Amino acid sequence: MTSSPSTTLREAARAPGRVSLRGLAARAAPWLIAACVVGYALVVGGYAATVVAFALIYAIFVSGLNVFMGLTAQVSFGQSAFAAIGGYASAVLTTEYEWGLLPAMGAGLAGALAFAFVVGYPTLRLKGHYLSMATLAIGMITYEVAVQWDSVTQGYLGISGIPPLGIAGYEATSDRQILVVLSLCVVATVLAVARIRRSRVGRAFAGLAGSEEAARALGINVARYKLLSFLLSAGFGSLSGSLFVHVVGYVSPEVFSLHMVILSFTMLYVGGIGTIAGPVVGALVVSVLPETFRAFRDYQDLAYGAALILLLIFAPRGLAGLFTAIEDRPAKNGRSS
Amino acid sequence: MDSALIGQSLVSGLGIGCVYGLIGIGFCVIYNASGIVNFAQGAFVMLGGMITHVLLVRGQLPYFAAIVLSVLVVALLGVVIERLVVRPLWKRNAPMFVMILATLAAQIVIERLTFLAVDDQPKTLPVFTDLPPIMVGGVAVNIQSLWIVAGSLAIVGLLALFFKGTRTGKAMRACAINREAAALQGIPVHGMLALAFGLSAGLGAIAGIMLTPTQYTAFNVGVPFAISGFIAAIIGGFGRPFGAFLGGLTLGVVQSVAILSFGAGLKTVVALSVLLLFLFVRPSGILGAAK
Repeated sequence: MTSSPSTTLREAARAPGRVSLRGLAARAAPWLIAACVVGYALVVGGYAATVVAFALIYAIFVSGLNVFMGLTAQVSFGQSAFAAIGGYASAVLTTEYEWGLLPAMGAGLAGALAFAFVVGYPTLRLKGHYLSMATLAIGMITYEVAVQWDSVTQGYLGISGIPPLGIAGYEATSDRQILVVLSLCVVATVLAVARIRRSRVGRAFAGLAGSEEAARALGINVARYKLLSFLLSAGFGSLSGSLFVHVVGYVSPEVFSLHMVILSFTMLYVGGIGTIAGPVVGALVVSVLPETFRAFRDYQDLAYGAALILLLIFAPRGLAGLFTAIEDRPAKNGRSS
Repeated sequence: MDSALIGQSLVSGLGIGCVYGLIGIGFCVIYNASGIVNFAQGAFVMLGGMITHVLLVRGQLPYFAAIVLSVLVVALLGVVIERLVVRPLWKRNAPMFVMILATLAAQIVIERLTFLAVDDQPKTLPVFTDLPPIMVGGVAVNIQSLWIVAGSLAIVGLLALFFKGTRTGKAMRACAINREAAALQGIPVHGMLALAFGLSAGLGAIAGIMLTPTQYTAFNVGVPFAISGFIAAIIGGFGRPFGAFLGGLTLGVVQSVAILSFGAGLKTVVALSVLLLFLFVRPSGILGAAK
């Protein structure tokens, strides 16, 4: 497939050699912005903390999406399915069966991975609009099942009274505690994704993203690495779903609807697809900006949709594109041979 | 299950199947002209019914005038979407999934604008002719279903004439076969793309208008319809307009039998499962994909 976002290759091709001060600053800028937003929320607390907490959960989800779409240049409109599996597994197991938080989360993760494995095998053989539609169908079937399977999910009513985040007696109940826990989760996610990208697996993903045929010619098992990328993405999706239900204490099918798909794509493109910082910055910016204009709230989906179209047309590389543009500038006069 | 009930559900399945077929044809017309899958197709279906309702109720227009005007407005909107959203991306050779994402976003934008401009209440339209249903061997066939079937067949016939008999239709088919060769023959390929969007938006609007009297329309009905239309197109073999119509009929019948067996709640799940089955087992559809 030729749909590889140019960012993947650019990032991979950039030599790790000399790094100018300006380059360093440009590279640190997205993380500084993210840290400032989270820091502000920590200090202010209350509503700001809630908004940022959601953004952090989305940052994990979108990071997962980015592994599949950015690093591997595949398409999935159905990652919400895995968030739903993780979320509902956590919700049902901790309320109905009184499991601990971690075992329930693990069960959700296992369920999501098993589901991704089963549907991934036939789905990932598809390409282009067939792949897009099949993944969209998987997401929508999961949503419908969440609505219809009353006896377990309680349909539109949803499940409430889900216990808060906590391990071994320590519970994160206040806004600030939740923020700290989620920030740690995001840092872990980001480190994991960065590690994946630098690993042998990540280079195989990049090869696949560049050209499937070329990757195959180099001896990369295309089908296996696609599935692996899909599984990784599903795993992050499932964890974000679990975190969501514990933070909110309530879950209903609406959480995992098409709205989630559009929102996560907007975040991915705002931040910059195929970059490590992109999903985090995108999730924070997209979540925080509409909140700063309160009057905007009725128009949220409208704004996300319109913003997404404008981004796709005028700035397909998102904010990350801006930062790399700054970083690359000295290369023009100095570094290039 | 008695035979009358089965007959009843087959009849309603064929009616809704025609509508799915028309939406599926809309997908094929754009796909053939450009290789683009337009995920905003459902918005046209929703707007067809919605604009007619607004013109009828708020504009106090006669029914027929409201219908014609609504189809024209939606067709024009199709052209506008092509100009504003699709063409900039097309010119830049944007990857296919970017195009899908952009049209899906356009769908959401239209949906939300409709929500803001009208409201979130379901709307319906009067039936075209207010006559009691005809009884055929214990099966009640309502007149609106006959309108849907007859209207769809007429449209399919007209489309066949257009593609086979007119210069513009032949030019569009030439674009479908090989866009570069068509451009070298002096066919305005960009113009054909705009025309394809207009045509398929108009088709969607007509489908929506015919269907609304038997169901309802609301700002959020578009996506399910788009998906059903897409499934119809896949079943028929993507890029084959008449295959899409057959696919629509198949899907309509399968869905109404499923409603009879499993209840209405699972009809979307059944439709999507049919899609996955085809994608996994026979992605080229019953007629084999175009080209």
